[in-house]
Amino acid sequence: MLIDASFGFEMETFEFLNICQVHGFPKIMGVLTHLDSFKNNKQLRKTKKRLKHRFWTEVYQGAKLFYLSGMVYGEYQKQEIRNLGRFISVMKFRPLVWQTSHPYVLADRMEDLTNPEEIRLNPKTDRKVSLYGYLRGAHLKNKSQVHLPGVGDFALSEVSFLPDPCPLPDKLKKRSLIEKEKTIYSPFSGVGGVVYDKDAVYIDLGPNYSLQEQQRAEDPSHELVQSLVSTNVTIDSKMSTSKVSLFTDSKPLGMEDVEKTEFEMPTEERVIDAESGRVRRKAVFKNVQNEESDEDDADEESDDDEEEEEEEVNDDDDNEDDNEVDDLLEDNDDLEDTAEYNGRRATKKLAAEEPKKPDTMEMPAFADSDDDLENSEEEEIQDSDGDPEDSEDESPDEEEEEMEDSDDEVVVRKPTAALDSGNCTGEDAISSDSDTDEEPPKDMDEGSEDLPEEDAVDEEDLLKEDEDYMEDNDASEDTVGALKWKEDLKKKAAETFLRHQQSVTNLRKLVYGTVVENEDNEEDDDNKEALGGLFHVSRPDKESKRAANALDCSKFAVDGPRDWEDDEVMGSIRDCFVTGQWEDDKDAEKLLKEDEELYGDFEDLETGEVHKGKPKSQEDESEEDDDEAEDDDDKDEDKVDPTEDEETRQRIEKKKKLKERFNMEYDDGDADATYFDDLKEEMQKQADLNRAEFEDQDDETRVQYEGFRPGMYLRMEIENVPCEFVTNFDPQYPLILGGLGNSEGNVGYIQLRIKKHRWHKRILKTRDPLICSLGWRRFQTVPLYYIEDHNGRHRLLKYTPEHMHCGATIWGPITPQGTGFLAVQSVSSTTADFRIAATGVVLDLDKSITVVKKLKLIGYPCKIFKNTAFVKGMFSSALEVAKFEGASLRTVSGIRGQIKKALRTPEGGFRATFEDKLLMSDIVFLRTWYPVTVPAFYNPVTSLLKPVGQKDSWTGMKTVGQLRHELGIKLKQPKDSLYKPIVRKEKRFNQLRIPRSLQKALPFRSKPKNMERKGKVTKDKLRPAVIREPHEKKIMALLDALGTVNKYKKEKAKQKHRQQRTEFKKQKEAEEEIKRKKRKEANKRRYSLLGQKEKTRKRSSLAGKSQN
Amino acid sequence: MASQGHCLRYEGCNFFRQRLVLATLSGRPVKILKIRVKDESPGIRDFEASFIRLMDKITNGSRIEINETGTSLYYQPGLLFGGTLDHDCSVQRSIGYYLESLICLAPFMKHPLRITLRGVTNDQIDPSVDTLKATAIPLLKKFGIDGEYFELKIVKRGMPPGGGGEIFFSCPVRKVLRPVQMTDPGKIKRIRGVAYSVRVSPQIGNRIVESARSILNNFLPDIYIYTDHLKGANSGKSPGFGLSLVAETTEGYVISAELASNPQGQGAAILPEDLGKNCAKLLLEEIYRGGCVDSINQSLTLLLMTLGQQDVSKVLLGPLSPYTIEFLRHLRSFFQIMFKIESKTFEERKGADKVLMTCVGVGFSNLSKTIK
Repeated sequence: MLIDASFGFEMETFEFLNICQVHGFPKIMGVLTHLDSFKNNKQLRKTKKRLKHRFWTEVYQGAKLFYLSGMVYGEYQKQEIRNLGRFISVMKFRPLVWQTSHPYVLADRMEDLTNPEEIRLNPKTDRKVSLYGYLRGAHLKNKSQVHLPGVGDFALSEVSFLPDPCPLPDKLKKRSLIEKEKTIYSPFSGVGGVVYDKDAVYIDLGPNYSLQEQQRAEDPSHELVQSLVSTNVTIDSKMSTSKVSLFTDSKPLGMEDVEKTEFEMPTEERVIDAESGRVRRKAVFKNVQNEESDEDDADEESDDDEEEEEEEVNDDDDNEDDNEVDDLLEDNDDLEDTAEYNGRRATKKLAAEEPKKPDTMEMPAFADSDDDLENSEEEEIQDSDGDPEDSEDESPDEEEEEMEDSDDEVVVRKPTAALDSGNCTGEDAISSDSDTDEEPPKDMDEGSEDLPEEDAVDEEDLLKEDEDYMEDNDASEDTVGALKWKEDLKKKAAETFLRHQQSVTNLRKLVYGTVVENEDNEEDDDNKEALGGLFHVSRPDKESKRAANALDCSKFAVDGPRDWEDDEVMGSIRDCFVTGQWEDDKDAEKLLKEDEELYGDFEDLETGEVHKGKPKSQEDESEEDDDEAEDDDDKDEDKVDPTEDEETRQRIEKKKKLKERFNMEYDDGDADATYFDDLKEEMQKQADLNRAEFEDQDDETRVQYEGFRPGMYLRMEIENVPCEFVTNFDPQYPLILGGLGNSEGNVGYIQLRIKKHRWHKRILKTRDPLICSLGWRRFQTVPLYYIEDHNGRHRLLKYTPEHMHCGATIWGPITPQGTGFLAVQSVSSTTADFRIAATGVVLDLDKSITVVKKLKLIGYPCKIFKNTAFVKGMFSSALEVAKFEGASLRTVSGIRGQIKKALRTPEGGFRATFEDKLLMSDIVFLRTWYPVTVPAFYNPVTSLLKPVGQKDSWTGMKTVGQLRHELGIKLKQPKDSLYKPIVRKEKRFNQLRIPRSLQKALPFRSKPKNMERKGKVTKDKLRPAVIREPHEKKIMALLDALGTVNKYKKEKAKQKHRQQRTEFKKQKEAEEEIKRKKRKEANKRRYSLLGQKEKTRKRSSLAGKSQN
Repeated sequence: MASQGHCLRYEGCNFFRQRLVLATLSGRPVKILKIRVKDESPGIRDFEASFIRLMDKITNGSRIEINETGTSLYYQPGLLFGGTLDHDCSVQRSIGYYLESLICLAPFMKHPLRITLRGVTNDQIDPSVDTLKATAIPLLKKFGIDGEYFELKIVKRGMPPGGGGEIFFSCPVRKVLRPVQMTDPGKIKRIRGVAYSVRVSPQIGNRIVESARSILNNFLPDIYIYTDHLKGANSGKSPGFGLSLVAETTEGYVISAELASNPQGQGAAILPEDLGKNCAKLLLEEIYRGGCVDSINQSLTLLLMTLGQQDVSKVLLGPLSPYTIEFLRHLRSFFQIMFKIESKTFEERKGADKVLMTCVGVGFSNLSKTIK
């Protein structure tokens, strides 16, 4: 992961990390770049540290962060890159569950195989494409379901394997690769220049890599490459353009120059045409499109220009258009440019492929690139739909040229009928080779024979022969050529066929071979099985027809019962019983005897005990009976004294075994043998077995048993692909082919545990569409959020909780439980906010859902008895009531009750009992739950079908809110759900009146205390007010003042006194403390003295004793 | 959904159960055409209808379409649901017919299956419940399907034609299965069996045991055959008797054979002695075929191997029964699994040629099981 240190973490970084976390966390290494933009060293260090810690919190403590110090001359430093590469290569990957259980292919090539005629008739017809790539993850089975993210679900119509186009170097013990072996691999880049197809190998010459690297730094052409990057061309083309190697002293190449140079290439071809003078048939082009053979531009350019030769080995599919373009353009440009072009060409050598095909020719490296350049330039050409007419026009010329050029290599083009040579795909064989009986197996074998072997010689011979043949017949080349092709294979095929016959037993034929046809008939026509090709089968056997309606029973009837009382017959199964004879290595008696022979009186505590007394193992002991006697005779006869050699061998073995056991017991057996260890050991054993089981078989048979292994280079055909996939194909976007498990192609309800992402700003609303990423798939769906109540009920939520997990149910593809899940609200818009809306995990899959929402039914009492009331208005019929009999009710005032029985009138009314008497003003509630339905909306994200340049603008269904916003429709609230001020009439209660008789009976405490009102105070009882004289007033005022002063004084004195007291106390305490200390010390001294005295006393007394 | 997995088509009613079971496990719809078209009574029979009903009970979301004459059937499987169920099986076939398929499906349910089946427990056509109990259950244990609730109980016995038997089957749920290597069958160390009799003289059981022992004692002394005589409500509606024998090897594999009396009113009465002897001979025949699994459980074993992780499983079988062979073909069309079949010849006295079947599991995981 690249992080621009000068900028810091970006939102995308975190989004990426979150995506990783959801889908299983692979090991992540961060790489900090732009560190040179920091001028201040301290700041640099600070930034590094800050970023590191943030990275650690996000990934894990101690996650690796790599620092790239900066660019030198616009390039990273070589040593650093090398170190980085080394670090990446030694990273340990934790296997991700999803990846280990699903096969997947990152496609590096896509070819359109549709019949051009069909496209001509209907440009929108569904396409048939083939994809190439390395298989990873798990085993891939033919005919299995796959998902192409961004396109959709498909079934593989055919799978075959090809030899690895980019093999590892032979010798592994090297510090670094030699230049020749340095290859770079990236999807859609034309792997290593060699294109493998089912039936042929084509070489595209990659120029010397080191040369190019050196040049890139100093060469202005690098800029050219840079400029190219921004154009909308295939990576393929980019790669090849970037490989342009020029003389160092040449003038800088501009874009136009490049184009020109590239156009020259075909010119040269022409020249050579004349030399070789071969012609090719016209019709090929149409046919070619059906075929799987691949066109390739294998080229070579030797140092001397004059002997430069080229080969255009053909491609049938989309490249073809490009080639045509070449030709067109070439016509215009060739003459002027030839010289210049030749002059400029740098020496090119074959890279890793060379040793394999020493005599193949090289060709200007631009073979592909130019095409693509043009593609980018001329838009009308880009569209392959429009081309068929052109192609027809152009094909003759081009074909001719191609044919003439090639000396050694030819692309073998066969009619559709002959597309059978797929390595292991028998269905082809069946389909194509119905003409002859022997052929299917041969074809099969042939494919497997030469392709996996990568035997260049074979290949070439074949090709040559084919070529010759083609030279001979121009007109009928198509059909006859194909036949010839087959004929050529006959010998080899026969051999392999024989071999197969030997290795594969009749039984297999019985089970799989003979019935293939029959089954295929039963299944769809295109749904034929892979292996059938081995055995050509006569039409469905009558037996199976007859059996079709037979009794369905698993018992295996015995046809000819034997006479089991006969001794001979009995003898035939004698050894199946413990009383029978045992194998040498298991026969206890024999073992014992051997032991004795070898070790004399050796006694092993474990085995010895068992073997000592009895000749048989313990199990037998109990079963030993009269039978034993007769058997023993046999055994004695059978026992032969082992020869010397055998003895020593056995002794060694025995010793080994003992040693092993010893090791087991004493080394690690007792201490560490945990459950986990056992488990690990078991897994290891199983893995070994898995590896060993099919190791000795050739790939062709192997794929039948286990499917295609991870690591194989596969070619997969898919039918019924939307035409937009091909027409809007943009190699800048990775194309993944993810295999699906059984029934993972189905849709159903998925229950998820989900949590709104803590950084996502808004909570999510139920029934708002979300775009999910689940397994391989990305799709839009409508989730319902729910939460599980304590009683296990799934209650619908309107919105996701803010910080809590909740459940979600979606209608989507069946995906195994435990798979991670990620949701965004939109994939098209880029917002500043964090885009990941929610993350979660799949909990459960089902075909029905259990989410419910609350439903309150309301009724009104129509008649009230004591505790019983008749309630109306809740239901509309007696039937409905019957369903709810016994359900609990509640009123607004909190009185609980129960539904009893329906009433005749009013319709839907019922009798209910309550715990108290109702009021007519009460409202009766029935709380129930209503199941909700999840809309069956599953809309796969088909971003790869969008036109080039708009692939990231996929929008699915919009939310209601969005639509309202766009269309300007305001939500009309229902009137009663609007808030309005609540007006409440004040309730007036009547006075409480207690009857007099009751009042009398009440205890005094509870009696209403009706105090009589006080009467008016009479005048005579009123006291007169005092009115003072002025003098008296003065006196009073003075007295008042004096009193206040006195009070104040007293208070002050009191305060003072208190203060003094506290001070005194403190002083006293301090003194006390000192005294105590002194006393303590004195005591200490005294006691120590006493102790010493005591000691001395004791000692002296002891001493006295001893003296005594 | 773009591709609902292409529908498989078959003709004829044979291997009806296999097809439905495999369709359910693989999630692929299946169409069976021309069911007894040429027959006097065309269309599916009662027992098949009952089987379909059972499938409907144990699954959720299945779609089953049968045409008016009952000659064609479309089955789109749902998810296996399980739970506590009961089902009345048709008396045309024994419970074994239904149970065989249930055993295949039970480990992959959402909820552990606890099912009560009513009908015929023992008849002459299908493997009896006794045999399945003695063979299939230990077999499943080898694949890691085991637990407290794993049991098969015969509550009542019912013989044809009346039926009236009842069994209880419960099976725990597993997410994944263990790969197995069953290559060494071991040697037979003991023979067990059940001689059952209902609504007949209780002596019959003993007579069967005696006669069976007389044959088997030539090979092995450790033979114990239980007599199971049921009375009253537990004895079903029709009289009958039979014997189910099981041979157990030192490696813990079991081989079985069984024989039941003719149903009341059909065919001649069979002497219990003859039945005992014949059954013993059948067992010897089965032993002669050999392998780690007997012929009725071959397909079950192969299925469980197929549904394992992506690991190699091996099993040594006796000669493949026609049912198994067809099952292998079906496995291939449903799961794209092909077995490596090697024929093994043993030394003279070990019975018929054996077949070593090897396959790599499809990496099946129980999609129905809920995780918490």
